[in-house]
Amino acid sequence: MRHRVIRTAGVIACLAAAAGGLAGCGRGGDPDTLTFMFRGSPAEEEAYTAAIEQFEEDTGVTVDIIMTTADEYATKLRAAIVGGQIPDVFYFDPGSVESYVNSGVIQDISGYIEDSDVVDLDEMWAYGVDSYRFDGEQLGQGPLYALPKDVGPFSFGYNATMLDEAGIERPDPDDPYTWDEWLEVLEEVTQDLDGDGGPDQWGTGLNVVWNLQAFVWSNGGDWLDEDAAEVTVDTPEFAEALQFFADLDTVHGVTPSIAEAQTLDTYQRWMQGQIAFFPIAPWDVPIYQDLDFEWDLMPYPVGRTGESASWIGTLGIGVSAATENPEAAAELVAYLSGDPDTQRHLVEAGIQIPNLVDMAYEYAEDDSTPPQNKEEFLRVVEDYGRALPPTFTYNPQWYDELYTNIQPVLEGRMTAEEYLAQAEPRMQDFLDMANEQAEMSRGTE
Amino acid sequence: MTATIAPPQPPGPPPAPPRPSRRDRSARACSNRLHRSEHRTAALFIALPVLGFALFVLYPIGFAVVTSFTAWNGITSPVFTGLDNYVRMIGDQYFWKSLGNTVYMMMAIPVGLLLSLVLALAMNRRMRGTTFFRTIYYIPVISSIAAIAILWQWAYNGDFGLINQALGMVGIDGPNWLQNPATSKLAIMIMAVWKGLGFSMLLYLAALQSVPRQLYEAAAIDGASTLQQFWAITVPMLRPVTFFLVVTNIIGGAQIFVEVNIMTPDGGPEFSTATIVWYIWRQAFEYLNMGYATAISLMLGLLVFVVTALQFA
Repeated sequence: MRHRVIRTAGVIACLAAAAGGLAGCGRGGDPDTLTFMFRGSPAEEEAYTAAIEQFEEDTGVTVDIIMTTADEYATKLRAAIVGGQIPDVFYFDPGSVESYVNSGVIQDISGYIEDSDVVDLDEMWAYGVDSYRFDGEQLGQGPLYALPKDVGPFSFGYNATMLDEAGIERPDPDDPYTWDEWLEVLEEVTQDLDGDGGPDQWGTGLNVVWNLQAFVWSNGGDWLDEDAAEVTVDTPEFAEALQFFADLDTVHGVTPSIAEAQTLDTYQRWMQGQIAFFPIAPWDVPIYQDLDFEWDLMPYPVGRTGESASWIGTLGIGVSAATENPEAAAELVAYLSGDPDTQRHLVEAGIQIPNLVDMAYEYAEDDSTPPQNKEEFLRVVEDYGRALPPTFTYNPQWYDELYTNIQPVLEGRMTAEEYLAQAEPRMQDFLDMANEQAEMSRGTE
Repeated sequence: MTATIAPPQPPGPPPAPPRPSRRDRSARACSNRLHRSEHRTAALFIALPVLGFALFVLYPIGFAVVTSFTAWNGITSPVFTGLDNYVRMIGDQYFWKSLGNTVYMMMAIPVGLLLSLVLALAMNRRMRGTTFFRTIYYIPVISSIAAIAILWQWAYNGDFGLINQALGMVGIDGPNWLQNPATSKLAIMIMAVWKGLGFSMLLYLAALQSVPRQLYEAAAIDGASTLQQFWAITVPMLRPVTFFLVVTNIIGGAQIFVEVNIMTPDGGPEFSTATIVWYIWRQAFEYLNMGYATAISLMLGLLVFVVTALQFA
């Protein structure tokens, strides 16, 4: 009896070991199979599947796709990295490049990309490519660790139908509003249409977290100094921009009040045609095709510098340092990022603007679908867009700190100047900590 | 090992036992052999949970203790920083604030217990529809917390929410619950009470039904009023359940996270709903401060342990 127990246990143990061994073989052991982990919508999956099939046909390498939702992605990837099961090809943001390089998670793909027939780096947006360069000291230069999955310019737009009805001239794409000019328009367009005593159509309705940048930068302010060592929010330029932003609601009343915005957020109100000016990014375009008003893009209103400003998001596709077949993996990256057919697919699905500059200009000339002024997206990418302030710091805690206690300013209970004077030292503390952490994780190599 | 299940010896030196006969001795050896194999099987059964405990509890705790003395982003190798994380915690206003928020929210526990006792008393009476009501009150307990949190988020909406509509019917202009630092914590507490009500009620109900009827009968014969019966019989008989509920509620309350994270993903207006576990999560996964997050976790574990131990003392 006992013998039987032992024998059974032995069999189970053997099976377990065998299963483990098999699983081990399944991952990375086979140079002809690559795993590709990414996040996105079903539409993106469809577009990428086409590219991947093409790749499989051309190279004879099989690709296993692991797709997650946007929310899950970071957690899953982290678990995969810590568990040593890194996918061969995967997405990451520019802010992760440094730590991934330092800890040997990703590898330099410059050589493979240069040799590849699929992409030519000169044909791609410099912003997109340079976001994934790192020379061991500084980001933005040196060897290439990924190619952009996309670049996402956060542009600005207006409800043309509403402006026409109010008898206001449409904004000129080549001559941006100054803040004062813009405010005049906002005031004119904010109206009580149903006569119930409160406005039901507003000039704008912006979220401080995603929109403050455009105003601060255009006014000559910024969050950090050049070395990302000092927080610089306590400046007159920054304060003026934040005050202007807050005054839109509290003084001028040209945005839905905070309570109104929480009831039905301004994004919904914009889509219902209640708001004249609202930010627009490429990923909004497919949904906005169905809006029942005419809309278009425009440059952000300008502050003291006289130049529009905004931010660009980007996500990269890179190669695991542990992959069995780096050449094929890098080739897959090239297909996903730079293959013209794939790009056309993605652009047609309305997922992004093309990664290829020439194709992007072609796309901008096509005025069969809104927006007419597609070129504004390209201008953000080429001309006046920047990375979000916390992109290249160890963590965004210092940046979040600005927004955590900003409510009193937005409600008009505190001036921007007062608030920023208080916030700066706290942000500086967090930034120092983040920089220290970054230093330490660099030191472990 | 054998000693533990050997037949109990009578106390004191045994009065010179008769020499065991040969047969006895061989019987003994035989039973020992039998015991030995049983012991081995028993040890195997015990080994599994012990192994599980070591692997999934002891090892992680040890790992956490070590991590709490390091700076670690979860990917690169940890760097030893001594007591830095603990020193930082003392000076971190958000740590204190989230701890304060958590303690504040625990004030909902006595309210919840009281309400569930009242409900249990009501359900304990012979009346129509008790099964129906018991089911109704128990539904929140078995529902997914994430789904519930989303429903409550809608209910709390300042203009269109159910709650303010109901308040509006009686002429009260309700606040924008989750967006107002003055009401956001209260909003989450109300929801937590509602969610926990059914479970506490069920336990109270079971306890109420196990109170012997004779006690009430005897008290009634002695002329005790209903209220006197309640204080002198029901309340003391319910003490063990109350104790259990207080202990488990405090442990659970200290770890409140999901409802906060769903209803106020950024920690609420001016950090008013951020709880300690929410803050740990944010430090670990948003700010990549695994070491610091682990240090806070250990501190929380210690706090919960001390509070629980005090209750048993």
